[in-house]
Amino acid sequence: MAVDHAADDPDGPGGPAGSDVSDARAGLAPDERALLEAFDRLRPQGTVRWNFDDAVRRLTEPPDEPGRSSPWTGLPADLWERGRSTKASERVLGDVVKVVSQDLTEYTDRAIEESRGLIDRSVDELRRATLDAVRFLSARVDRLEAAADPFGIEAGELELPLVDASAWSGPVAAWAAARGDLPAVIGELGTPGLVTAVSAAGVAVDAVDPRGEVVWAKVSSLPAGADVGSADVTVTMAEVVDHLRGLATDSRGSVVLSGCVDRAGLAAKVELVDEATRVVAAGGAVVLLVSDQAAWDAGLDPVVRDLLPGRPLHPEAWRLVLTHRGVPGSEWHQAPSGTVHAVVAEVGR
Amino acid sequence: MSGIHLFVPMLHRRDAVGEHTRALRDGLVADGIECRIYIEMPDPDTVDETYPYRDYESDARPGDVLVYQMATRSDMAAWLAARPEPVVVNYHSITPAAYFVPWNNWIARHQVAAAQDLAVLAPTAALGIGVSEFDAEELRHAGCPDVAVVPVANVRLPPPPPDPEALAALERQPGGPNWLSVGRLAPNKGHEDTIAALFVARTSSTPDARLTIVGSPTEPAYARALHRFVAELGLTGAVTFVSRLTDAELSARYAAADVLVMLSAHEGFGVPLLEAMSHGVPVVAYAAGAVADIVDGAGVLLDDRGPRRVAAEVEALLGDEDRRTALVEAGRARPAALGLDRAASDLVAALRGVAERSGRPPVTMSAAPAPGAPLRP
Repeated sequence: MAVDHAADDPDGPGGPAGSDVSDARAGLAPDERALLEAFDRLRPQGTVRWNFDDAVRRLTEPPDEPGRSSPWTGLPADLWERGRSTKASERVLGDVVKVVSQDLTEYTDRAIEESRGLIDRSVDELRRATLDAVRFLSARVDRLEAAADPFGIEAGELELPLVDASAWSGPVAAWAAARGDLPAVIGELGTPGLVTAVSAAGVAVDAVDPRGEVVWAKVSSLPAGADVGSADVTVTMAEVVDHLRGLATDSRGSVVLSGCVDRAGLAAKVELVDEATRVVAAGGAVVLLVSDQAAWDAGLDPVVRDLLPGRPLHPEAWRLVLTHRGVPGSEWHQAPSGTVHAVVAEVGR
Repeated sequence: MSGIHLFVPMLHRRDAVGEHTRALRDGLVADGIECRIYIEMPDPDTVDETYPYRDYESDARPGDVLVYQMATRSDMAAWLAARPEPVVVNYHSITPAAYFVPWNNWIARHQVAAAQDLAVLAPTAALGIGVSEFDAEELRHAGCPDVAVVPVANVRLPPPPPDPEALAALERQPGGPNWLSVGRLAPNKGHEDTIAALFVARTSSTPDARLTIVGSPTEPAYARALHRFVAELGLTGAVTFVSRLTDAELSARYAAADVLVMLSAHEGFGVPLLEAMSHGVPVVAYAAGAVADIVDGAGVLLDDRGPRRVAAEVEALLGDEDRRTALVEAGRARPAALGLDRAASDLVAALRGVAERSGRPPVTMSAAPAPGAPLRP
């Protein structure tokens, strides 16, 4: 049986980008290539998370609004005083105007043609320059990303102990109930207790965790009454910040964060706070369940601890971060038992 | 009691690998062999049918055979490679990373890791089973010492009858001919080439031609680009994207179609080709991967995907009644010729052979549950 590897990527699965599009289109007519290149321009430039495809479109496409200039409406009627020689003057003027207008029309047509060519060339150059700039920026961003996080370790790849926030189940349920008319986001899932406590308080739960096994354990352990996948409890496998980015502003009653707030780097911590405060409606709470620094240092495998991009902030540092990001008046609740503190901020608008 | 257990990263419904895995599970259970499906990540739709793969460490019995349904990367691969039981790799093709590089770096890296998984697993596998000769060749290339070809077990023969309401609604639509393309909205599927060919067909010969693309948006950036491409070409009313169809609704789409156009750049098997053939729909396809073997003269095979060429071939096929009838007749014979009707029993026999060679064949249960019955109460 013939195997048509030639039509496929010659480098096999996972190989380099050997299936060059331009090679595949070598035999096509110019209009066919132009048609398919229109699709190529819709590809993201750089990494997909930066949505460079949208950025490029915004930069290179003309705006939809019509041109601002108005058409010329002619000379005003009272430009010249009218006297006895008006008729003769009008006749002479009419002949002159006729000749001049013919010249003007011819000149204007040529000028418009020249201008169009000039504009087309300028727009082409501008578009090329813009695309080059975006590609350059994209490469720079990729290099900066690689420099900031050379390993690109995802949470799901690490053997991290689950955060034991069970002591906070009751208080978290009460904080979530303040805006119980909207769902509460719980990310990450940690040890059992938070999801069931908040759900039992009558608040819909939107739970999220990047680790498949944790999601599995949570789905398996929920009580029979909890309807997974319905409006009552949804459990999603995703990075918490990615999940928050996809939520509408003011769409959640509270956001309860644990785990991710400990291990993320400072910039990622700030982004988590920004996203959490954005999605929480006025009167709702952002609850950060943060590990005690000493317990974290003592309890974590040293290899994992060293390779993680961040470590827990002190609760007072979290309060400063929250204030700096526009959420003043947060409170630090010391751990009643265990090694997890709670920092709670009410979101005002 | 030993058994033959299936491992798959996630078990989805309405997914080629997921439905194949469920069909194989049903075949094994019907044959009296204990079989569980172990997964890495749960899907709420199938959570009652599956077990976390780490649970197998306490479930393991002497004489077990483990079957890995491989199409993507998973932590299970390295874990399976380290297991003492015989491991069978049931290979469904790994889409090369190159197709995803312009669209999604994460998936591209994922596909590279999948190829690394294959390189780890293949040399130690007791048996590699490719769903096509194309996939079998990749298994051999990866170092698998013993390779067989058994097609997928989830193509329904005969096809389910079309949903009458859906079919009536489709038949009420004016215009045509109706082009159909079935496949996930993923970059290797080449849907942009089909759209470009439709554009050429509408502007040159058949201004009322329509295209329906059936497939879930696996890669969102690619799916968004397809929608924008359709809008920019002025094809908004002529191209329809649908997904999550029931079997009967999908049958209605086939029944209303005049031609299936499949321009995938990488295809490990090509279930839609056989679905179209069994529905009597003629096929125009790009000869990539396993497609040439699957079609084997029962459809129009293309060696390039240029829009003008594709449009011309579709037009020529639809305008030649005799040729179309001949291809449809030849297509109806392809599923049986490929052994799709006995795929599940062939797979079970192949796996039994591995168990017997391992010295401890699986113990047959005295009362086998009915196929499809959930294994977990």
